[in-house]
Amino acid sequence: MSSQSNIALNNWLMANNVENISSVDEIYRYDRKQQQDMLAAKPWDKDPHFFKEIRISALALLKMVTHARSGGHLEVMGLLLGKVDANTMVVMDAFALPVEGTETRVNAQSQAYEYMTAYIESAKQVNRLENAIGWYHSHPGYGCWLSGIDVSTQMLNQNFQEPFVAIVVDPVRTISAGKVCLGAFRTYPKGYKPPNEEPSEYQTIPLNKVEDFGVHCKQYYALEVSYFKSALDRRLLDSLWNKYWVSTLSSSSLTTNADYTTGQVSDLSEKLEQAENSLGRAALVGSGVGVSGSSIEDRRSEDRLAKAARDATKTSIEALHGLLAQVIKDRLFNQVRSKPA
Amino acid sequence: MDVEENNPKVNHVMASSGATGSISVLLHPLVVMNISEHWTRVRAQEGKAQQVIGALIGKQKGRSLEIMNSFELVFTVIDNVVIDRDYYNTKEEQFKQVFSDMDFLGWYTTGDSPNESDIHVHKQICEINESPVILKLNPFTRNADLPVTMYESVIDLVNGEATMLFVELSYTLATEEAERIGVDHVARMASGDSAESSQVAEQLQAQHNAVKMLANRVRLILEYIRAMERGEVPKSHEVLREAKSLTHRLPVLNSEIFQEEYYTQYNDVLLQTYLASITKACHDLHQFVTKFNILCDRQGIMGRRMRGLFF
Repeated sequence: MSSQSNIALNNWLMANNVENISSVDEIYRYDRKQQQDMLAAKPWDKDPHFFKEIRISALALLKMVTHARSGGHLEVMGLLLGKVDANTMVVMDAFALPVEGTETRVNAQSQAYEYMTAYIESAKQVNRLENAIGWYHSHPGYGCWLSGIDVSTQMLNQNFQEPFVAIVVDPVRTISAGKVCLGAFRTYPKGYKPPNEEPSEYQTIPLNKVEDFGVHCKQYYALEVSYFKSALDRRLLDSLWNKYWVSTLSSSSLTTNADYTTGQVSDLSEKLEQAENSLGRAALVGSGVGVSGSSIEDRRSEDRLAKAARDATKTSIEALHGLLAQVIKDRLFNQVRSKPA
Repeated sequence: MDVEENNPKVNHVMASSGATGSISVLLHPLVVMNISEHWTRVRAQEGKAQQVIGALIGKQKGRSLEIMNSFELVFTVIDNVVIDRDYYNTKEEQFKQVFSDMDFLGWYTTGDSPNESDIHVHKQICEINESPVILKLNPFTRNADLPVTMYESVIDLVNGEATMLFVELSYTLATEEAERIGVDHVARMASGDSAESSQVAEQLQAQHNAVKMLANRVRLILEYIRAMERGEVPKSHEVLREAKSLTHRLPVLNSEIFQEEYYTQYNDVLLQTYLASITKACHDLHQFVTKFNILCDRQGIMGRRMRGLFF
């Protein structure tokens, strides 16, 4: 890389607040005693909101994303290896489990359990000393949240295998948005009411899943996700980028996302129809009974319309991004005027 | 890396420069990250840098290899490196369960150029796959290129003896969309989705960086040709031919059909944006009406009548 772009890259990394684990990559060391003290103390038993952050290694992230992508429209599942550091969970590595299927099948069965134990045992021989710290699975195309089955699986795991975390990756949205779409969650114990429910980041959820989402979304909370990489990783990634810039130019997100966008649009039209129906109903009720009776109904339908408007904005922003890239490329490569000789 | 350092006769294991590799290799970045992590982990645990060895798996189609994943191997050092075959077998079986379509293709290690000890390991690996490839990653390099080299082995006669020699292979990085975004993401490590940074700016930034890179490369070619013109560097017809063919490719696609498709796509996106704007306008209007109604209701019966007008 030339010095000029080097400076640019450095500035950029600085602006983006990149964190490096210095002092010989301290985080990669596994301290068995400290971990066992932690496991014995069980500070997470007292506070259901104990874990607030999660740190994911670059490798684990890449493994999860590629594995989720290889599953296509099927859900895939895997296990996370890592450790605990105060109220932060650290995910060092991930591996795939031989399970794939739709929602009902994505919970580990006995065959997967066997595989899990064997894998962790064999990993210990190559200095991968961490234990299982959670599981991940993919939600291709419908966002990062826990469904009813996920919530019960996670609750079970949290009862018996603490500390445990659930990570959800959406490979389809990762590609459409151009950035990794990932969420890390922990469930509350049964009957626990979260004290102050701050609204989580808004995301689009398809109509046929919205009910599942709404029923269970108060039973878990999201951890704050950050990523880390080693000094060698950083150097390698720099040089990888040296070769990768070509694909930034050569890929067209409009084409790769055509399927997804169409799906989004048709989902949107259904949502709008629903909003319209409820609006009509609200108006009827409103004029008949008066203001007090209609206010709840009104608010709900308004909510629907607001959500639909937000989804529409998001989808079109993504499409516009793709178009921007196309226009740039058209200018660059197609509109060549040779100078008159 | 003590093995490499006191071994100056590295060139004895490389085939003469005339030999070229016969297979093409497609390398996924995940493998590179995997090796890097393996090395870092062992170093952090043991307190000092050590050589690590692992297996490469992927798909083979004719003479092209696609290396998609890797796993670690256990080895013991008794004079020489000995690979633990039992460990390999269990690991391989585990991988087969998850990635059933991938096969064992070769092995990786760390260090700079290959040496006698690598040959020794390679011979053991040959018992598993008869023509494995080897990937070497040098964690200590200082230059900006990817410090990864790949080799395959050939049997050649040296001083009347059949000897195993390495031939360097060229490789290309595989670019799968999801992997690219993942690499991009960790390379940049944008600290979460901060609300204040504009999405458009982010998008354009990525494009801008790529275009800047392209401009850099083009400038390099241009300067090289200028230098050739001035006679500062020897003329290379091969490079000139390549430069010529590069310029000949522009414009890349300028046929009628492309233009038509391009504008169709353009219009599609614009239509989508238009519809989204209408939806948004509807929502805003609806909110306005609701607020208006609340205000009017306070004024009594007049308001009720007005309300009827709006719906």
